[in-house]
Amino acid sequence: MKRVVVTGMGAITPLGNDVGSFFEALSSGRSGVRRLEGLGTERLANRVAAPVSFDPQPLFDAAKLRMLDRVSQFALAAAAQAVKDCGVTLGELDRSRCGVSLGTGMAGAQSTDDGYRTLYAENSDRLRPFTVLLAMNNAPASWIGLEYGFGGPNLTYSTACSSSAVAIGEAVRRIAGGEVHLVIAGGAEACLNFGTLKAWEALRTLAMEDAKDPSASCKPFSKDRTGLVLGEGAAMLVLEERDRALARGAPIHAEIAGYGLVTDATHITRPSVEGQAAAIRAALADARMGPRDIGYVNAHGTGTQANDGVETAAIKSVFGETAYDVPVSSTKSMHGHLLGAAGAVELVAAIMAMQRGLIPPTRNLAVADPECDLDYVSSGARRAPGLAAVLSSSFAFGGTNAVLIARKDS
Amino acid sequence: MSVLDRLKQLLERDFSIPPASLEGAATLESLDIDSLRLIEIVFAVEDEFKVTMPQDQGEIRDRVKTLGDLADLIEGLGAAKAGD
Repeated sequence: MKRVVVTGMGAITPLGNDVGSFFEALSSGRSGVRRLEGLGTERLANRVAAPVSFDPQPLFDAAKLRMLDRVSQFALAAAAQAVKDCGVTLGELDRSRCGVSLGTGMAGAQSTDDGYRTLYAENSDRLRPFTVLLAMNNAPASWIGLEYGFGGPNLTYSTACSSSAVAIGEAVRRIAGGEVHLVIAGGAEACLNFGTLKAWEALRTLAMEDAKDPSASCKPFSKDRTGLVLGEGAAMLVLEERDRALARGAPIHAEIAGYGLVTDATHITRPSVEGQAAAIRAALADARMGPRDIGYVNAHGTGTQANDGVETAAIKSVFGETAYDVPVSSTKSMHGHLLGAAGAVELVAAIMAMQRGLIPPTRNLAVADPECDLDYVSSGARRAPGLAAVLSSSFAFGGTNAVLIARKDS
Repeated sequence: MSVLDRLKQLLERDFSIPPASLEGAATLESLDIDSLRLIEIVFAVEDEFKVTMPQDQGEIRDRVKTLGDLADLIEGLGAAKAGD
């Protein structure tokens, strides 16, 4: 099997619209969570979210923009950053052997919501002519493929909160198996519309607004956690076969060393210690690494009652006594839960932590929970100059658990 | 203002088509209007002229080769005149 490396990264996030400012904010413990204002928000019981501040006008001409849902705008913008970062000139690639692999939970949810508003709220039949093209789940990946003329597999994965971890892991396997040389892989989500927010609210799994500080509403691993906070954004990575990347002198951010994929098959929402632990074990086995090799875990850490205790138990089940030695943080405390984009955004955070030797904290962990007793890096970013391997977990509604391990290239 | 003139205005304003290229005899192809763009234009035309264009895309394609054809089709559908 061929080795696979990350040569480019791009991100559009609630904490900044490039990888550098995203990580800068994370490591300073800044939160992108805030109270939403505007259309219909007075009808929301859970008004906090982590929106992206993004102006598409400079990036796309008007005719193109009419065809791009917000989720595709994010995906294209992040992909452009990643391609620029990897330094490849398209002419040097065999583009029939290049692909796109993208995870999204709800894809063009904004356009779907707009369409329903027109139909049912305004009682009009004047649906926008491109509603189907805007809303279709594979639109973000397709636009990236069109942009770069990639003729290899163009795939969209939708496994809820693990979508983009799966998209990256599956792309790694295709490259490792020799089918493709380069894949733009990651995830995108843009679901902060009224209908989607109400649907999540109905599930009673969203965080209540912190009365004193809305930006502190997402409290992973804290006893007073009340749920997850939805976010939006995208992260795309250029994954390449290592020898080819080395041959063209590409900058190498990390090697994707392991991918574990295990499905609970027990309950549509309830997480399982066994399933999460099995996915972590599978990733370690794939990387031929042991728990002691992992220097940082970027946790799934949603801030729900159900997840954080189960995840802690899963980490303990795999890491044993060393579980207490490995720093574990949930950056969702700052950027919210990006659903289908979460795995990609958090892998970028974990790779940046390794590159900068700096572990981002878990924000808002103020009240200890006896069920959550690991080292959650809760008092600010921590220097970790020797960080050589990181693990990023994504566990999903539907039960698809995906874990990625990245290590310094050597 | 004639239907054709209003159509030219619409295409320039909403679709950024250079006014110099907008003549009655200009083909959709020469204006770089592909099938997808045409559907968008049809939607805008329905709003602008308060008409209902044929639902069958094939019928529109058969009847509309040039800008003038499109103006004729709109006129035939009884477009509301500007200022009416």
